Amino acid sequence: MSPPERGSELERLELELLLEAVWRHYGFDLRDHARPLLLRQLRRHLREERLDTLSALQGRVLHDADAMEGLLRALAGPSRPLFAEPAFFRSFRARVVPVLRTWPSVRVWHAGCGSGEETYALAILLMEEGLWGRCRLYASDASEGLLADARTGVIPLPDEEESRHYLEAGGRRALSDYYTRDGNWAVFSRALREGIFFTQHNLATDGSFNEFQVVLCRDTLLAYNRALSHRVHRRLYESLSRFGFLCLGRKESVASTPHAAAYEELEDSGRVFRRVA
Amino acid sequence: MSPLGLLVVGAPREALEEVQAALAEMPARMPVPVVLVLHRGLHEVLAGPLGHRCPLPVVEPDDKEALLPGRVYLAPAGYHLLVDGNCVCLSREPAEHGQRPSIDALFESASEAHGPGVAGLLFGGHEDGWAGLAALREQGGRAAVTRAAEETEGVERVPPGGVKDWLARLVPVTRMKVLP
Repeated sequence: MSPPERGSELERLELELLLEAVWRHYGFDLRDHARPLLLRQLRRHLREERLDTLSALQGRVLHDADAMEGLLRALAGPSRPLFAEPAFFRSFRARVVPVLRTWPSVRVWHAGCGSGEETYALAILLMEEGLWGRCRLYASDASEGLLADARTGVIPLPDEEESRHYLEAGGRRALSDYYTRDGNWAVFSRALREGIFFTQHNLATDGSFNEFQVVLCRDTLLAYNRALSHRVHRRLYESLSRFGFLCLGRKESVASTPHAAAYEELEDSGRVFRRVA
Repeated sequence: MSPLGLLVVGAPREALEEVQAALAEMPARMPVPVVLVLHRGLHEVLAGPLGHRCPLPVVEPDDKEALLPGRVYLAPAGYHLLVDGNCVCLSREPAEHGQRPSIDALFESASEAHGPGVAGLLFGGHEDGWAGLAALREQGGRAAVTRAAEETEGVERVPPGGVKDWLARLVPVTRMKVLP
């Protein structure tokens, strides 16, 4: 049997059935993911798995929990390099850190941490700014597999570009001061690893779990459709203390969300918003 | 022919000047949104220069922004721009044909979202965009290319100077109402 034509009625039906199966069997709700993006991710995953149809993927996922984990990884996308978008980290140092210094303790939530590169980059920054002692850094993701990777603190050995990004981000030492080399891998120092609390949390379905002074959620909501993204924005809002900071991706905004009025954007900050109401 | 709902334009970096010229030919009363992918570097500032001679505002949209008629939406650097109904859907997925934003990604998503209501214009010279044009054709949309080595079935050939005529055929000029 030949695979269904892209964008056909049959493909749409198969997609609905797959999402329903994943929801009913595993409790992962992918039904409100942004459809065009989800379809592209699923089609790529099919090619990589050498499967012809979404129905075939559904069969495999239902009978094999490892295949489900593989699907979640495919939807999480590739891991990002350390200090990708140094401009964000630079403005975080300049605009957010001085405020955090005036607070006795700071809880930070990195929502949608994936395999953890950005979490470690943030941890390095907080350490350099002398905030590590009074910060508690929570990082969450829906995928237990990605979290397991993140907890190990092992990443591919940073390349020259990543070292350069670290310096552009305002880094004060050498990136290599923070890890030990093991062949082609880098292992982050114990102080970094043990100071981050990696915990499973599904933004799509789980509620708020604490109150935070900083919430980092960068490019994670791109995967969701407008309705779900608004629901998640409600969670983020509820999880943020008054005058706390919400850090989004370069092309994400609170402007069209129900909470737009509750935030003030820090000028030239690369999408850092402060909750003022 | 079904009425036009969306115009998508794709171009490699070398075609920047041709794209500028084409944007200058846009009708001031464009009744549909125009979405543009131009291959670009991460730190290139393009919305300003592209909007300079264009009668329509050229903007780099945020994720989930609505697509409104009479505006040109330029895919931001480092993101694919997909069309989700009448909304922008940005993505950080891997580059395609070495490009992010990718023309194929835009064209394919637009054709799935709007079917025969999409017209696509590709400034040739790069492998990115051809699969997207094919997808547009399959869904019944209109497809045109500025430079093509050979004839492709269902794809119109528009010489660089002919974009204005092509647009005029897509978007019939609305007559001004005669006021009494």
